[in-house]
Amino acid sequence: MSAAGAVTPRPGRVGRTLPFSDERHLTAHQWLVDEAWLLDAQAYEEWLDLLTDDVRYLMPVRVTTARGAGYDTSPGMAHFDEDKYSLSRRVARFQTEHAWTEDPPSRLRHHLSNVRTLATADPDHLVVDSASLLFRSRGDVREAAFVSAGREDLLRRTPDGWKLARRTIMVDEAVIRMQNLAIFL
Amino acid sequence: MAQLPGRDRGDLPRASGNGGPDDRAQLLADVRRGMIPAHIYNDRDVFELEKERVFGRAWLFLGHESEIPAPGDYVVRRILEDSFILARGEDGVVRAHFNMCLHRGMQVCRAEMGNASHFRCPYHGWTYRNDGRLAGLPFYQEAYGGEAGFRRTEQRLLPAPRLAVLNGLVFVSLDPDAEPLEDFLGDFRFYLDYYTRQSGSGIELRGPQRWRIRANWKIGAENFAGDMYHTPHTHTSVVEIGLFREPKAEKRKDGCTYWAGAGGGTTYKLPPGDLDERLRYVGYPQEMIDRMKDRLSADQLRVVGEDGFMVSAATIYPNLSFVHNWPKVGDSEDVLPFISIRQWQPISEDETEVLSWFAVDAEAPERFKELSYKAYLMCFGSTGMFEQDDVENWVSLTSTAGGAMARRLLLNGRMGLLEDDTEVVPPLPPERFHGPGVAHTGYGEYNQRALLDRWADDVERAPVRPAPVQLGRRRSTGAPA
Repeated sequence: MSAAGAVTPRPGRVGRTLPFSDERHLTAHQWLVDEAWLLDAQAYEEWLDLLTDDVRYLMPVRVTTARGAGYDTSPGMAHFDEDKYSLSRRVARFQTEHAWTEDPPSRLRHHLSNVRTLATADPDHLVVDSASLLFRSRGDVREAAFVSAGREDLLRRTPDGWKLARRTIMVDEAVIRMQNLAIFL
Repeated sequence: MAQLPGRDRGDLPRASGNGGPDDRAQLLADVRRGMIPAHIYNDRDVFELEKERVFGRAWLFLGHESEIPAPGDYVVRRILEDSFILARGEDGVVRAHFNMCLHRGMQVCRAEMGNASHFRCPYHGWTYRNDGRLAGLPFYQEAYGGEAGFRRTEQRLLPAPRLAVLNGLVFVSLDPDAEPLEDFLGDFRFYLDYYTRQSGSGIELRGPQRWRIRANWKIGAENFAGDMYHTPHTHTSVVEIGLFREPKAEKRKDGCTYWAGAGGGTTYKLPPGDLDERLRYVGYPQEMIDRMKDRLSADQLRVVGEDGFMVSAATIYPNLSFVHNWPKVGDSEDVLPFISIRQWQPISEDETEVLSWFAVDAEAPERFKELSYKAYLMCFGSTGMFEQDDVENWVSLTSTAGGAMARRLLLNGRMGLLEDDTEVVPPLPPERFHGPGVAHTGYGEYNQRALLDRWADDVERAPVRPAPVQLGRRRSTGAPA
C-alpha cells in the first residue's frame, strides 16, 4: 500500500527548533514566503523549478478516529500523492486554454505562519514546519473557500539553491470544503 | 399534496405550471418527455420530495466489505442525515445499525472508522456490542427495576431496515418492503461485474476522499450515467497534456451507452483485436486478463472481445457511480486502468458531498495496484484532473438553476430523439452488443432520460411510512431480533 501520513517515514529531526535568528531558519522562512507568493500568483512553472526531481508531494486524507486508534489518516489514500511527473502534468494542464476550473482563475492567498526550522544530520537538509491557510475566491456569486493545513517540508541545498524534496500536507478537515483541489498548498 | 415548484412566480407560458395543484404532474410529464425543468437542480421543495420518495425507498450504497475486513472493524456512513454504523461482528457478519442510542439518542460512535468490540454511548453509558445488541446499561436494577421495567434482552440499535451485499458492495434500503437488491439492480448486475469482479477475490477499496461541492446530487449521477457528449469538450485539457488518449470527439462518438435495470453507463470503442489484445490495450497485464476470462461470463467477455466496447463511466440509480479509465501514469506510452466508485451524497438541494473511492482487483499485482492508484489520483477524486473541470460545470449549473428565470426554462435533454420521438440512431442489435438492456452508439441522452424517468416514478409514488419502533416495552412493534 502507498504510504499515508501515519506511516510515512519522517525526515530525521536533530535537536530543538533553530533560533529565529539562525541563518538557516531565516533562509528556510524566506524560501517558504517566496514560494507562497508564487502559488498565489499561480506561477506554477516557476514553482516546479523549486522542486527537486525526486520530490514527493503528499496530502493524506484525514479521518476522524477514536483517540486511542493510533492513526488519523485514511490507510493508503491521499488527496495528493505526487512525484515530479504528475505535478508537471497538473501544471501543464493549467497552461492549456481548456482548464475550465481555473479559467477565470481563482483569487488565491496562501497565509503562511508558525514557521519553525529544524536541522537534520545532513547540513544540506532542513526540516521546516509551517501552517498554511489558503483563501480561494471564485467568481462573484459563491462564498470563498478555505483550506487549513499543517505542512512538514524537507528542503535540500542544491547547486541551484534550496529546493523542496518532500512535503507532507496535513489538512485539518476530514471533508474538504472546496469544490476541488485545483490548487497547491 | 404540497405544491411543487411554484413559489412567487409570474405568468408562465408553460413549463411546470403556476404553482397550482397540477404543478407536480406537469413537472413529471416534462421530465418524461425529455424536457427538464431547470429548477429541479436547485429547488428546496423538489429536494424534500427526493428525500422521502427517492432516498426513503431506493437501495443505497453504504460501503464495501473490504473496508471492514476483520471482526470489529467498522465505518460510519450517512444516508442523508442518518448516520449508520457498518460493522463486522465477532461472528464475521456485516451489519448496519442506526447510530443513535436507544435511550436519549446520542450518537454511540463518533469516529468514522476503527475497530471496536463495543460502542458506548458517552451520555449515560449504555453499551452495545458491535453486532448492535444492547450489552449493558448502568444501574439497570436500581434505575429501571431490571426486566420488569425495561426488557433489555433482544434490544439492539435500530438496524438498517434492509441490507444486502453484492460483489462485496453493501447496500441498504430504508424501506422495509423494498424489493430484493438483485431485482432492484436487474440487468445492471451484468455491467457491475466489470468494475467489481475481475477475479474471484473481487475488489478492495481505498478511501474515500470526501469533499463538498455546491452542486445538486443528480448532476453527477446523470453525467456518469451517459454523458459521452461532454467528454471531448470539458476534458480537452487532459488530452492536450497527453494524460488520456481517448476523449477526442470523433473517438468518443464511436463508443456506446447502455441502460439496463437500475443503471446505465458509457463505453469506449476499442481498436481491432481479440479479447486479450483489447484488454492489453487498456493496460491490463496478462495474469489479470486470465483471471477475467476465468471469472466473467461468455457474454461479458464478448462485449469486450467481439463487440469491442470497454466500460467507462456508469451510474446505479439514484446516486452511486463508477468510472474505469486508462490514462498514462508516467512519461511513456504505457497506459494503466483504474476504477473508482463514487457516491453523490445529497446535503441539500444545492450541495453534495462526494465520496470517491479507489478500487482495484484484490488479486492484482502490487505494482499494478500502485500505478492504478496513481492513475486514479491524477484523473478523479478531489484532485483529479477530469473531476476538477466536471465540478466547475456542475456548481455553475446549480447556482444558475436556483433563480426565477430557471423556472421558465425547460432544458432540452432530448439528444438522440427526433421531434416525433423516433431515435436518431437505432439501438445496437444483439449481434453487435452482447450485453443486456438497450445500447446506442454515438451521442445521445438516452441514459440521462432513463435515470430521470426512474426519478419521476419515485417522486410520483406515495412515500414509505414505516411504523415507529417502541423499545423496552412488551408491545414492541419493531426491533427485529
